[in-house]
Amino acid sequence: MTKQSENEIIRVEELSKSFGEHQVLRKIDFTVNKGDVICILGSSGSGKSTLLRCINQLETQTYGKIFFHGKELGKKQKETNEYRSKVGMVFQSFNLFNNKTVLKNCMEGTRKVLHLSKDEAHKRAISHLKSVGMAPFINAYPSQLSGGQKQRVAIARGLCMNPEVLLFDEPTSALDPEMVGDVLNVMKKLAGENLTMIIVTHEMDFARDVSNRVLFMDKGYIVEDAPPSEFFTNPQHPRAKEFLSRFFSN
Amino acid sequence: MTDTPNTTLEWIGFIAEKYSDLFIRGTWLTLLISVSGTLIGFVLGYIIGIIEDTKINKEDNIIKKAILGLLKVISKIYVEVFRDTPMIVQAMVIYFGIKLAGFAIEPIPAAILVTLLNTGAYMSETVRAGIKSIDIGQREGALALGMSPISTMFNIILPQAFKNIVPEMANTFLTNLKMTSVLNVIGVQELFLMAKTAGGTYYKYFESYLVIAIIYFVLCFVFNRIFLFAEKKMSQQKNYGLAVEYMENTQ
Repeated sequence: MTKQSENEIIRVEELSKSFGEHQVLRKIDFTVNKGDVICILGSSGSGKSTLLRCINQLETQTYGKIFFHGKELGKKQKETNEYRSKVGMVFQSFNLFNNKTVLKNCMEGTRKVLHLSKDEAHKRAISHLKSVGMAPFINAYPSQLSGGQKQRVAIARGLCMNPEVLLFDEPTSALDPEMVGDVLNVMKKLAGENLTMIIVTHEMDFARDVSNRVLFMDKGYIVEDAPPSEFFTNPQHPRAKEFLSRFFSN
Repeated sequence: MTDTPNTTLEWIGFIAEKYSDLFIRGTWLTLLISVSGTLIGFVLGYIIGIIEDTKINKEDNIIKKAILGLLKVISKIYVEVFRDTPMIVQAMVIYFGIKLAGFAIEPIPAAILVTLLNTGAYMSETVRAGIKSIDIGQREGALALGMSPISTMFNIILPQAFKNIVPEMANTFLTNLKMTSVLNVIGVQELFLMAKTAGGTYYKYFESYLVIAIIYFVLCFVFNRIFLFAEKKMSQQKNYGLAVEYMENTQ
């Protein structure tokens, strides 16, 4: 057991995940500290998303442990719900509630999970929607929004829970290039506000400029864990070198 | 005595008028059985559909697992049995079965029971399909907020599933409306039995059944329009107004 530092929020130990015969994650170890902005890079199929989904317990690991503030995650549904209310997630496909307006999307969690009063939930929703520039759209339904707008609402929805960590699973991969900037700007702003984030992404510039740590994954292993300054200038692992050269050659 | 009718057309008018009381009573009873049977059947269908969709969690305690497992087995058997036997046979078996067991049961409650059990079996499959029609992402979105699986089901999934299966629910109701006719076998005085009675006196079966054919048609036609209207209303995309109070100096 490693000693727990005061700033530690999440610690992952020997996390492994298999889907049948196919092993997706292999003995993953890493720690998330308060204020970290961690970008997880790697080619498709390297296990990035699965790692994020395990952290949120949308997938259950086959082996290994996850600690939240030094305490191993409980297996009971109630414990999982409570943990998830503190560790939010933003998805590639937005996953907004299609039957609810933008405002209601942002009030669902605070009302049903945190049991805030209507006024309080409303106030929070508006303030976060404002911060992502979506407040004028409170009465719209998700189907009436563009991808970039949907994703900004999804981020606001996550923020309304006042999470300790917000996980992003390829938040810009389903957007057309023009929209990507809007979403990245919102995330940049959040990083500036010291929100702890783990971001699976293919946006290299963003990873280089905004993160304080880069994890590079290959075949289910974390093969590199370094600050972006090191990772982008002097990658150690051959796969990382190959990956970066392919990215920056075009 | 009035003149006896000569043509078939006159006979139809004659039968319809002479037995109008019977036809009206039969119509009400047909409506009563189909509406109440369908509505309660829908509720049953939803319950079964949700039970079938609920996954047994390895971490749950043994009692919860046992109860859920038992419910799943019972609902599986129930759905299978009712989908694999004709309603007319179900009516006989249930009606006479209850009597054989020593309980008194009137034909009307028995008819409603048969209809609701039949509806529940079919609806459970429809509900399951409706639940499946909602992309898994929305469920994950809700779970990621910390919502419980049950709360997710009732607040996010079911309202949307419901909307998607309204046409199928309307279909089920119309089927039931017509299927009540088989319930004459247990002596329910719905439309079909009334036509049989009315036709029997003068041996004018064609005329008598034509009268109820028209009644069935009109009922179904009217309900169908109502459902189509409701469906259209529900799927209408509401226009939203921008909340100008939150507009900032837009670029």
